[in-house]
Amino acid sequence: MTRQNALIEAIRIVAVVVIALTIGFVITAIVSKEPVQAYTALLTGPLPRISFENGFEIKNINRFGNWMEESTTLILLGLAVSLVFKARQFSLGAEGQMLLGALATTVVALHISAPFPLHLILALLAAMVVGFLWGLIPGMLKAYLSVDEIVSTLMLNVIALQIFDLLLFNWLRDPTAGFIVTPLFPQSVLLPQMIPGTRVSLMSVLMLVAVVVVWFVMARTPFGFELKMLGANRKFAEYGGINTKRVIALSMAVSGILAGLAGAHLSLGLLKRLTINLSPGLGFEGIVVALLARNDPRLVLAAGLFYGYLRTGAQIMERSSDVTREVVLIIQAIIILLITAEQLFPRFQQWWRARRSSEVAIERG
Amino acid sequence: MSALVEMKQISKVYPNGVVANKNVDFAVEKGEIHALVGENGAGKSTLMKVLYGLEQPTHGEIWLKGARVEIPNPHKAIDLGIGMVHQNFMLVPSFTIAENIVLGSEPRKGRFVDRAQAIAATESLSKTYGLQVDPLARIESTPVGMRQRVEILKTLYRGADLLILDEPTAVLTPQETDELFVAVRKLVDQGKTVIFITHKLVEVKEISDRVTVMRHGEVTGRVATADVTEADIARMMVGRAVFLQIDKPPVQRGRVVAEVRNLGYVAETGRPMLRDVSFDVYAGEILGVAGVEGNGQTELVEVMTGLRPATTGEIRINGAPVQGQSARRIRLSGVAHIPEDRLTNGVALDASIAENLAVDRYNRPPFTRHGVLSPGKIKAQAMTLMQQFDIRAAGPDAPMRSLSGGNMQKVIVAREFSAEPALLIAAQPTRGVDIGATEFVHNQLVGKRNEGRAVLLVSADLAEVMSLSDRIAVMYKGEIVGILENGPHLTEEELGLYMLGLKRQEGTRKV
Repeated sequence: MTRQNALIEAIRIVAVVVIALTIGFVITAIVSKEPVQAYTALLTGPLPRISFENGFEIKNINRFGNWMEESTTLILLGLAVSLVFKARQFSLGAEGQMLLGALATTVVALHISAPFPLHLILALLAAMVVGFLWGLIPGMLKAYLSVDEIVSTLMLNVIALQIFDLLLFNWLRDPTAGFIVTPLFPQSVLLPQMIPGTRVSLMSVLMLVAVVVVWFVMARTPFGFELKMLGANRKFAEYGGINTKRVIALSMAVSGILAGLAGAHLSLGLLKRLTINLSPGLGFEGIVVALLARNDPRLVLAAGLFYGYLRTGAQIMERSSDVTREVVLIIQAIIILLITAEQLFPRFQQWWRARRSSEVAIERG
Repeated sequence: MSALVEMKQISKVYPNGVVANKNVDFAVEKGEIHALVGENGAGKSTLMKVLYGLEQPTHGEIWLKGARVEIPNPHKAIDLGIGMVHQNFMLVPSFTIAENIVLGSEPRKGRFVDRAQAIAATESLSKTYGLQVDPLARIESTPVGMRQRVEILKTLYRGADLLILDEPTAVLTPQETDELFVAVRKLVDQGKTVIFITHKLVEVKEISDRVTVMRHGEVTGRVATADVTEADIARMMVGRAVFLQIDKPPVQRGRVVAEVRNLGYVAETGRPMLRDVSFDVYAGEILGVAGVEGNGQTELVEVMTGLRPATTGEIRINGAPVQGQSARRIRLSGVAHIPEDRLTNGVALDASIAENLAVDRYNRPPFTRHGVLSPGKIKAQAMTLMQQFDIRAAGPDAPMRSLSGGNMQKVIVAREFSAEPALLIAAQPTRGVDIGATEFVHNQLVGKRNEGRAVLLVSADLAEVMSLSDRIAVMYKGEIVGILENGPHLTEEELGLYMLGLKRQEGTRKV
């Protein structure tokens, strides 16, 4: 990308965010009695505050923690989705892979005893293997039987949810608890905490490692090249000698590893037990992150942090003002819609470039 | 004769600064067949788009029957009696021919389309102009030639007096081309005027009354066809003489590289596409495969390159059997392949030139070492090949999409030739590319032959096969009906008899 293009791209992003936030504010102003305060909560809520009242002190570190936790899950899911999208496979299976990943860690946590860190490693491996296998199913179906992956992954999500519920209700739940939940996990399997006063754990570090690994796989391995060629033109890839069936199946399976890790983050890092209704729909937020980042793993990091910030701010806005959850979701959706609206802004760019170049042509005569 | 259409001083500058037409004067007289020729990108299509209202000229005037007209859109063009048949047909596959012809201006009976009248209108038009169609056939089940007749009838139904045919023969078989020419002559007999866009010089000579030649957006010649030779037109197109005759040293046939024995292929539909095909290709020779398209050439190439499995038979490359192996294994055995349809599988438009040049070799040194891929090495290779094969592009990272057809073909040629194959299979290697690139590809193919490689050249262009090949195999209905030594004694007529199934060589099995 040339420097001029990079500049246009940066201006584009800033312009979109400003427009989106302005529309969001107008909506807030319509529904809220104190819109400025409510909107401030959305925009600055996730930031910690430094206070010098009683000497140096950082307040609201838990909010900052929420932001980081949320972003860690979102980035792992975003990486999972960008891997399959890069190969132009529209797998929507991250949700199911995440659920089963969380389930796998729970089985290891409660039914295997081992010392730390072995217990944790086993649990993480279980989540990754289960995610891999649950991704391999629609991958093989697509590659060898031409089963549409959108349909198969959505159906497998439903099946995954039923397996999750079945095991939780009948085998893993704590019979003494008043609601459906597993016992708390033993300390040996939990992700170590990284920032005191928050639930930010070792998974955030693993997430950074995952970003680097996924980037490396995409940009510096033959498999990444195959993925890209498959996404660019499947028939061309086959003509060049690439075994596209294998690549299709593997892309979905490898994606499952990352979604499985996201599930492990929910169970081993955040909840420390398994509950029913584990974050429904979160798997689909990974699609938003991947779209924002245009399947570039480096940008997934930025997009995940941004989207996590927005989601955390929205929760804080909901808690600390008279703006209801539904309105918060609308604002959030508008922002995402504007940013992902690929049509609008490239058109503007084209028009702008066209105007400039025709001016140049006229000057040259 | 008076000018039906006059385009005066037409200039078209695109927003990106490309000058497609520069002060072009173009006139067509009533009742003539006027050929508009030029290499790809010479500005022919742009000029015709301006006439049909698809593009607005930056400068210039259009005069029709002595009056100045503005043509802001195709609707207006149709109102003025101008019709255009595009290269890519714009028909509804699931509709019948009659429905397609009346689509948009249907005869009505109350609130409904009057089918009977649509069919009647189609039949009467078809009869008047000698364009044979079956009004009740669905487009999806008709051959390309008939679809083209439907397109022409569609414009006639809308009252066109001037028909623009944009490279109408590019998609046709030789017989269909002949039929088209008969129809075009009949159109003119009936008082219509035809503009015929092409870059095939043979056709210009055969069909047109006058010819306008364009190069780099300007008109370089405007002559009566009878007064010039093909070579004259070629000179005006490229600004230099083109060697239609290729110089090559006598054949030095080496060992057998490819042995094909009793090859059979049955399509999914159950239709046998290849029947008992046997031949050898030797090192140092070009074996041409001639035949009317659709007689099994596509299947032969795809079976030999591992893109389709053979149903029966055997293929050996350098003595080792390769049938049933993957495309990669076959490539590794020394087979390279220039595919017949480059946009389908020859290139990835969204990938970069460098990536396109590495699709068959990215996974081995120097591009991948110890499992790590080096984009730098892929790019370095691209720089070398772009220079070596004269590929004109912004750089190795430029997307394939940004290249012209001729340069795309050079990318494919660069990749396949640099694979250093023992057997090079070239299918329609110059289809849709300009004269400059065609000449380049021809010289490269002959160069490989002289180096001692085996070349299998499959082409629907008889002139290409005859000027390059050392031997010519003719395919008819999935069979090889003859393998002939090429030379001055072999005539086009003789080959034609084989291609049409009227003659077959002794020793080839009769079914």
